[in-house]
Amino acid sequence: MTDDTHASTSAHDDGDAQGSESLRTGGGDPVRAGGGTQTGSARADGGTRTGSARADGGTQTGSARADGVGTATGPAGDAELKRSVVQRWVDSTISDPEKAYRAMFYVATLFFLVTTLFPFYWMLVVAVTEGSNYALLPPTFTLAPFVEVFVQINFARYMFNSLFLATATTALVLLLASLAGYVFGRLRFPGRRPLMLLILAISYFPPAAFFLPLFQLFTGNVFPWFELYNTPGALILPFSSLFMPLSIFILTTFYGQIPDGLEDAARVEGTTRLGALFRVIVPLSAPGVATAGVLTFIAVYNEFFFSFLMTDGGAKDWAPIVGGLIQLQRAGQFEVTFSVMAAGSIVAVLPVTLLVVIAQEKIVSGLTSGALKE
Amino acid sequence: MATERSEGVTEKSGPYVAFVRWMENLTETQFAYFLLTPALLLLGVVAFWPLLQTFQLSLFADNITGSATVGNFVGLENYVAILTGERNALMPSPFLPETLTVGALFTSALTVTLIFTITSVFFETLIGFGQALVLNQDFKGRRWVRVAIIIPWAIPIVVQGMIFYLFFAPNVGLFVGEGALSLQGLGILSDSPLQTAQDSTLIVIVADIWKTTAFMALLILAGLQSVNRDLYDVARVSGASPWQRFKMITLPIVLPTVLVAMLFRTIQAMRVYGIIEATNVGCNTLPSLSCLVISSFFGGTRLVGTAATVAFLTAAVIALVVMVYIVFYAQEDVE
Repeated sequence: MTDDTHASTSAHDDGDAQGSESLRTGGGDPVRAGGGTQTGSARADGGTRTGSARADGGTQTGSARADGVGTATGPAGDAELKRSVVQRWVDSTISDPEKAYRAMFYVATLFFLVTTLFPFYWMLVVAVTEGSNYALLPPTFTLAPFVEVFVQINFARYMFNSLFLATATTALVLLLASLAGYVFGRLRFPGRRPLMLLILAISYFPPAAFFLPLFQLFTGNVFPWFELYNTPGALILPFSSLFMPLSIFILTTFYGQIPDGLEDAARVEGTTRLGALFRVIVPLSAPGVATAGVLTFIAVYNEFFFSFLMTDGGAKDWAPIVGGLIQLQRAGQFEVTFSVMAAGSIVAVLPVTLLVVIAQEKIVSGLTSGALKE
Repeated sequence: MATERSEGVTEKSGPYVAFVRWMENLTETQFAYFLLTPALLLLGVVAFWPLLQTFQLSLFADNITGSATVGNFVGLENYVAILTGERNALMPSPFLPETLTVGALFTSALTVTLIFTITSVFFETLIGFGQALVLNQDFKGRRWVRVAIIIPWAIPIVVQGMIFYLFFAPNVGLFVGEGALSLQGLGILSDSPLQTAQDSTLIVIVADIWKTTAFMALLILAGLQSVNRDLYDVARVSGASPWQRFKMITLPIVLPTVLVAMLFRTIQAMRVYGIIEATNVGCNTLPSLSCLVISSFFGGTRLVGTAATVAFLTAAVIALVVMVYIVFYAQEDVE
């Protein structure tokens, strides 16, 4: 029925060029190929000859469809004038499938935005709600939990620990991965491919497969004089080896793309080998270094496994925010209100959110190049 | 100019110049290995040594009472005992399900990990594809939509856990009890969803999908952008509908990328641990493979040998899954 009536509707109400075109061709697909000239004439007609076009539409549609679906279109024709916006939209959509896809696109975009952002909204609601009447719209409003989280536990110290660990690991990884990426990207030597595969193989093993011996080592069970547990070292070392393969990979790709001529020129000028690396190659591949740096920083800041297990979880034990938030959560709602947990989480999310907003291009290019160019 | 400077240094510091000269005289291979030394040293101590050590530990018996880390050398006995279920009485949760009931599937490490992995990777691929298609369009505000989609991926696992804890914990949760969107009235969740095996698995799966779909979306987007736009124009002129264009052009070209992205996600999902702790579900309720390693190691009875064996079995299971992908990938290539 709708399919039957759409043509006349659009001709009546919109005076739409495509609509009237489709009428002339028997109400089927809009003929887009010849659109240019025909549209012009149809539009010119529109103003003066609406009446006749309407009559035309009524009869033509009726006759064209009579053999297929057709029952009386004529009487229905008048009722259609009063159709709702939605119905009109549906009708015009059927005549123009592209419109349906566009609508689908907006619905999908809205859906993805709501599903990704709603959890943050709920966290905000919980944080600013006074008492325990949590509802979709907060009935009361307070910012006290954002202060309280810093009072109840040493959250500033946890934040500092997290940022420090992430920065230190990133620096270490970038230094070592710059050297390794240069070697793999620019030098030809026996054992290059096997070594690269070996390094890549690390990122495939689950952290649990490294954990037991490292825990024994860091708690002083292997060498009594060597103990790192509850120090930054116990976290920075596993983090570096966990995330270095990706950085090596990204930098190998970037270094490989720099033309040989530039390095040769620097060498002819008399630069040392390391001088050529740090004064010519590294500056030229700055985007790659930045990418690897951003990804490593985010990865370390977000890491859970070693962060949770390699310290006792206290702020003084160099535990990152994982320690602080888990401590709040395990204390339970009678010790710590849910609002404080939510406030802490929001504070913890701020640095990475900022980083994503600033460096999203780097993140996208780094993720895709690191994962896809094998 | 640089030469002049290094000559200037000569007079001042002998050892530095000696070092530079020594390095200049290395062959390319020697130079390569020289530069790799720090990275390899670090990886050797913090990655390769622990891996070998874990394997070695897995060949020794548990030492429950003594002070030594492990007991006698037992060869592959740990592997046999764990896979046949002989060790189940001692372990916090079984590795393989004892029976094929739903309850057993959700309380044994291997099956619950597989349920988690397959479900979450499936939905991440599906939703990620949708997100990639949206991001592949040109529209106003695309940059901000992309930021919104990436942000869940970029937040700490502990915050992700906290969010879903605040969704489902009693007295606060939006989806439980008196919450505005309570699912319990619909009979979907039990009274304490974070403490029941099936419900908590569902929650952890949803949490994982929420966070990591963006990774999938970005990889698929990269694949989409490598498609030659001319192909679409040709198809459009020949009268192909958008769906046909998607099916005949986009899908075949993007499929290899999708497979690689799925492989990466599968490897990561098989190691799931953080989100289980961070939602306060805990390893007792949802014993994933990584969980089982940790709870055997730190649990009431100290099962170091068993923990190491489970760690290696986890790696083996992942290797098996990787193999399946590679075979599938090779077949796609042949076709």
